[in-house]
Amino acid sequence: MGKVVEISPTTRHEGRSKLVLQVDDEGIITVGNWISVTPVRGLEKAVLGKPMEQVPKLLSRVCGICPVAHALAAVEAIETSIGVEIPADAHTLRVILHCANRLNNHALSNIFTLPDLYIPGTDRKINLFSPEEPMRSIARRIQRIREIAQGITEIAGGEAIHPTNTRIGGMYYNITSRAKQKLTDLAKEAVDIVKTQMDFMIAVLRNFQRRDWTEIGGRQIPIPRNLGYHSEGYLATDSLYGTSSRTSVQSWDPDHLREIRPWNFYMGEVTIDLEDSTYPIGGTTAAGTVVHPKREATNAIPLYNGRPVEVGPRARMALYQGFNEKGTIGQQVARQMEYMTDVHEILNRLDTLNTSGKVLTDPIPPGDGKTLAWATTEPARGTNVHFVRVREGKVADYSMIVPTTWNFPVCSKALSGAPWQLAEVIIRGYDPCVSCATHMIVLDPDKNVVAQNLIR
Amino acid sequence: MNVLGKYKSVVSARSTDKEILKASQDGGIVTSLFAYALEQGIIDGAVLAGPSSRPWQPQPFVATTRAELLKARGTKYNICPQISMLKEATRSYGLDKVGIVGVPCQIQATRKAQLYPIGMRDVPDKIALVVGIYCMEVFPYKGMQLIVEDHAGQKLQSVKKMEIGKGKFTVITERGNVTQLPLKVTHKYEQPGCHVCLDYVANTADVSTGSVGSPDGWSTVFVRSRIGEDVWGKAMAAGCFETKPIDQVKPGLEMVTKLATEKITKNQKTVDERAHFGVGKALRNPYI
Ligand code: SF4
Repeated sequence: MGKVVEISPTTRHEGRSKLVLQVDDEGIITVGNWISVTPVRGLEKAVLGKPMEQVPKLLSRVCGICPVAHALAAVEAIETSIGVEIPADAHTLRVILHCANRLNNHALSNIFTLPDLYIPGTDRKINLFSPEEPMRSIARRIQRIREIAQGITEIAGGEAIHPTNTRIGGMYYNITSRAKQKLTDLAKEAVDIVKTQMDFMIAVLRNFQRRDWTEIGGRQIPIPRNLGYHSEGYLATDSLYGTSSRTSVQSWDPDHLREIRPWNFYMGEVTIDLEDSTYPIGGTTAAGTVVHPKREATNAIPLYNGRPVEVGPRARMALYQGFNEKGTIGQQVARQMEYMTDVHEILNRLDTLNTSGKVLTDPIPPGDGKTLAWATTEPARGTNVHFVRVREGKVADYSMIVPTTWNFPVCSKALSGAPWQLAEVIIRGYDPCVSCATHMIVLDPDKNVVAQNLIR
Repeated sequence: MNVLGKYKSVVSARSTDKEILKASQDGGIVTSLFAYALEQGIIDGAVLAGPSSRPWQPQPFVATTRAELLKARGTKYNICPQISMLKEATRSYGLDKVGIVGVPCQIQATRKAQLYPIGMRDVPDKIALVVGIYCMEVFPYKGMQLIVEDHAGQKLQSVKKMEIGKGKFTVITERGNVTQLPLKVTHKYEQPGCHVCLDYVANTADVSTGSVGSPDGWSTVFVRSRIGEDVWGKAMAAGCFETKPIDQVKPGLEMVTKLATEKITKNQKTVDERAHFGVGKALRNPYI
């Protein structure tokens, strides 16, 4: 019988999550549980009964890293529910916004990932905070990409973080031709930087892939060839932006979606009996601690066609561009390749943007509440689905399945077969954004989960 | 009491630009300074009070060319919320170096936005030139309408210029009709907020200007900050303005001091009174 080790909290990603891992005598994971322990904020409930105009603004607060994704999915879903079409130029601005946010997020993910990787040809890990070269220029380059991306978001979306320019029916303002010129200049500047960054990232990732071991907590941990492999499926609803229930040819079918409770997916009560004080940062959880993953988890488990699915850059590239590399490295490589798509798409869309075009539909119907509409966006971390029903201008139902929610179960499976010390390297491959993956869970007096999911 | 705020220099000045002077209120200082700054790339646009669809109802707008700047010439004595466009100038207008003109309270708001940029993310470092204009008080649009249409008996549409000075409110129409009202009758239409305002000469601007203290057609200019000094100095060197030493013009700095003192003393009274009507705390004047 193996042992159980817990890494809590996991580091270098957004939100709070932990790993409870059953390992064999060699320290290889046999059952991996990656769970969100971010406290529930209850935004899906908070928006009920609110005027629809307010809801995208509220939902953008789901996350401070991909607020654009939520603001956009929310407006698109609400527009689908009330049945409005937005002007072409408003859509163009939204796509620009979306791509800029993706650019920023991929760069941010690089910051989280790089400390796991090595400078090729050496046994030195990459410390972005070091004043030495090449670290300093890598850090500068990444920050410049983020600066550019936020600059673009700020102009197209009104704010660098939570966009204020998006609204039901389109956008508040179109941008001036001067602002368009500025965006073009910024995006043109990004083309070269992003290309260099992509090449650099792929080089260091491939270098990691060729290594036999990596140092963690002062020990050499062997890197398995199949790091992060899983045999579950992929889901992506669009190669770039997203889709909604009003499109006639649909890239996915929400009828095949089923959300189960963490209760039915994760381990029950276990006692930690493997402890490693050398594991960064501050060691793993003390032996003797009793944990209860299925009860502690605050995320839901969405299944598509009855199984977990991976979402994100690799899923998009696998489904739309024939990318077939598996595992953590494949996933990371796909992420870097999206860099170029994002900048070029910004430039293409800017080309078509008519700065004197209308960006707001008129009139905006209040919605009859008959259909549960949905819209998806494809932000950095994968498919983000928002379901909504709008009645008389008020939100009657709301539910969302965000990227990392999809990824929790599939990544939990992908942990098997790796040395437990590499579990965090695997989850970082998913670029997790945990706090938006937190769902409403209701407990009965005996602390059993009784929450019903909203869609069915 | 230092009612004029800190400044590096003060002069009486007039623009040398005939086109600007043609429709300017006094010395055309604001328009000329911005026109120069725009030309030199010191600013890439400015938030100004421009015309709207209603006569004499100003509306904030972003000017990025000289032609647009010219639209904002002349004083309007009623409320115009320039600050509402300040952030927008850096967003959908894409400006990196914003100029802004405003009355003292707006300049305070601009500075406050720079110090505590709540809701003004990425705006502070994009403010490049802040020009303040002297201000006794302003009128809400309705108040202005009553003064001009009821008291002065003129149609707002036909008014060409309004002036406050020498204790009189003067309305001049396109056809040359001039009506003067004693300032006293206008007091009750003032915006109540102005009665607690303790800044007359835009103490926190880079450059502040107004007609008071200088002869007709000239303006009194305070150069206050390092930025102000730099831009003003360059504009002078480029021949944008002709100046006279302030102590050689009539009525001179004395007049500015007199009006500033009057405003501040009068308003300080209101401020003190407010300490007793419920809020329990008097307002403080951080600008003097
Ligand atoms: S008197 Fe003061 S508060 Fe009133 S408009 Fe002028 S500067 Fe603003």
